[in-house]
Amino acid sequence: MRNILLVAAREYKSIASTRGFWVMLLVLPVVIGISQVAGRFFRPQLESAYVIVDASGEYEQAIERRLKLNYQRMELSAFSAYVQRWELGKVDPDAAWAKGERWFSDDQVEQFMDDGGIDAAAAMVKPHAPKDAPAYEIDKPGYTRAALPPGVSAANGPDALAEGLAPFLKDEIATSEGERPLSLAVYIPADVGANSPVRMWTNGAPNPTLVDNVRNEITRVVRSKALQASGLAPEQAAAITNISVPLTLSAPPQGAGREQMVIRSVLPLAMVYLLLVTVMTTGSMMLQGVIEERSNKLLESILATVHPSQLMHGKLIGLGAIGLTILGVWVGAAVGAALSVQGVVADIVKPSLAAFDQPWMIFAMLFYFVAGYLIISMLYLAIGALSNSLQDAQSYLMPVIMIIMLPVVFMMVSVAQQPNGIFPVVLSWIPLYTPFAMLARMGAGVSMMEVLGTGAMLTVFVVIEMILLGRLFQATLLRTGQPPKLGAFIGMMFGKNVA
Amino acid sequence: MAILKLDHVVKRFGEFTAVNDLSFEVPEGGIFGFLGGNGAGKTTSLRMALDIIRPTSGAIEILGRKPGRENASQIGFLPEERGLYRRMTVLDTIVYFGRLKGMEPGSAKKEAERLIERFGLSEWTKSMVEKLSKGMSQKVQVAAAMVNAPRLLILDEPFSGLDPVNQQVLEDLVLEMAEAGSTVVFSTHIMQHAERLTDRIVLLSRGRKVFEGTQEQARATLPGRLRIDAQGDPTSLPGVLTAKRGETNVGWTAWDVSLKPGVAPGDLLQACTAQGFALRSFESHRPSLHDVFIHLVGPGQETVQ
Repeated sequence: MRNILLVAAREYKSIASTRGFWVMLLVLPVVIGISQVAGRFFRPQLESAYVIVDASGEYEQAIERRLKLNYQRMELSAFSAYVQRWELGKVDPDAAWAKGERWFSDDQVEQFMDDGGIDAAAAMVKPHAPKDAPAYEIDKPGYTRAALPPGVSAANGPDALAEGLAPFLKDEIATSEGERPLSLAVYIPADVGANSPVRMWTNGAPNPTLVDNVRNEITRVVRSKALQASGLAPEQAAAITNISVPLTLSAPPQGAGREQMVIRSVLPLAMVYLLLVTVMTTGSMMLQGVIEERSNKLLESILATVHPSQLMHGKLIGLGAIGLTILGVWVGAAVGAALSVQGVVADIVKPSLAAFDQPWMIFAMLFYFVAGYLIISMLYLAIGALSNSLQDAQSYLMPVIMIIMLPVVFMMVSVAQQPNGIFPVVLSWIPLYTPFAMLARMGAGVSMMEVLGTGAMLTVFVVIEMILLGRLFQATLLRTGQPPKLGAFIGMMFGKNVA
Repeated sequence: MAILKLDHVVKRFGEFTAVNDLSFEVPEGGIFGFLGGNGAGKTTSLRMALDIIRPTSGAIEILGRKPGRENASQIGFLPEERGLYRRMTVLDTIVYFGRLKGMEPGSAKKEAERLIERFGLSEWTKSMVEKLSKGMSQKVQVAAAMVNAPRLLILDEPFSGLDPVNQQVLEDLVLEMAEAGSTVVFSTHIMQHAERLTDRIVLLSRGRKVFEGTQEQARATLPGRLRIDAQGDPTSLPGVLTAKRGETNVGWTAWDVSLKPGVAPGDLLQACTAQGFALRSFESHRPSLHDVFIHLVGPGQETVQ
């Protein structure tokens, strides 16, 4: 054991003292940090401006009202979900947002606006929110109105207006909120009809909600006018055009339903990803180490003092410790990032940890992680022992990586959709993939029997693999010349002394 | 007591027999030469003694025990194919090998520092091995082999790749170790080193032992040779096998004389005196190990004189 630990310590130190290791170790935390900073300071400007010229004077007000109404409706729906998630309905049980609904009629929204709109509602709820709940963030409408710029007039008709606005549609326009990209300009003629259509110009990337709202409101007013022209009273015409199907739309609170299943799979899938990355990274280091020992011809000196199996176990432990270091730093960085973003712990971390509410699941997860590491690392070690150079190793490595990676990546996608689908379940019983598949499925819940069954199978497989690949490792360490052929390979695994 | 003993050892790699029924003993103390051309089975035999590979048949005893890593604390080994971890410092490398041989960290470091100074590598103590010249790297390897002050030091072709100055340094070290009580076994195909250093030798050819004994015993396997200046023809003298005439100078002729097996040069001198055979010079030629090697193994095997 002493020599195993000495080999392990040397392996660890040799990797940990390289600059490349520290670059790799810190790249994820740095990327997370940069993305956090960039997210805060370099958020893209989404708000755009629009211009409306209403020669008839009959549409402008209606459009403005509709835009405000729909913006408040969107906020009301989001606020209702927030209230439901944090169980804040009791703050004002009679309010529209207190009932868990997600769709609201114009009347409900108007009432909401009369009560002060989203600003008032958010302010009312804020003092009652739990400590770990993020404050409700009010989104801006995403569009703001701009007046016609000086020198641009609609007096000479739509074509002249289009010509005047053209430079602004390529650039920005002044609004009360500051300079904004002009994404939509609307010209409504005095008599809207087949011969004098409503004209719209965009910058190629208009806000689709804005366009829909403007178009629908103009249509609604046109229909109302048509109904009035056919003899209906203005009130009747308005009632008809405002008709909408009465409905209530309910949804489970955030973090429940299908979303809950996805969230519960976050941690297990992250573990699978980390296992893959860790094992591939440390495996490559292990492979390079063995090739260095072979090409530097220092194996004979080592083997005079250390048994090949001790060398193998020392490498597995040393590189395993490197893997754990990477894992620890990356998980630490991820936890730090989660803690720094308000609400992530409550919304994602806690629910995903809920998947592991029983202690045996933690042990099972660790077991699969270690078993996965051993299975893949042993393959890398054996390849290293067979190869005279990194080029040699590549030819063995490529098919091995493909055989491991492709099913695992497909499985991860599959688990996100259907954790207990046929593909992940079948992979759970193929030893090479068992650790990955079982880890990925644990979030959605696996039976203890399945854990015990796959665990027993995996243990037997790891032991057999350690014995067979261990023999191959030992038999090929001092080999020179061309790598052995398949028959010799198998012979070595079964203890035959092949030159 | 034999510190290393091979008893009818055979090692086969598939169809190829690398070592064939090899038996010999290395007594404790002194310097033992393990000689043979390339491919004679020297490295394979040493690897078996260190349990790096196992014999196909036969028995090996080292330090009175079976080969195994438990012997490592009393053995120093310098393999023929040498290498070091490139990204380890000189000190760490020697300490690492000392630790692998069971030394405590403090004593391994102390001994490593002593050897580094002894080899003139003090200013390189904290340098990475990759920055050393080939000669310096070899010194580090020798230090790593000796760090545990081994009872048995096994050197496989220790002089290959060294320049004459470093060869001399290594020769001095080998002698120093032997004087300090270590048994040194070294394999070589350079007969010059073996001639200068060894007390006893084993000579291998194609995996088989062709000789075991002292250098003198080895030389005795060759017919004695003399160079004499005489007035008469020595061919008829007792014990003379052949006599080859050389240059004649003012009545004296140079003769290259080969003696019959078992006849010593002194016997011929005695016969000359008894028979009144006039001699002006009598020069006995001492055969080299190279001559012995060629005689025993044949000219086909590669050695360096």
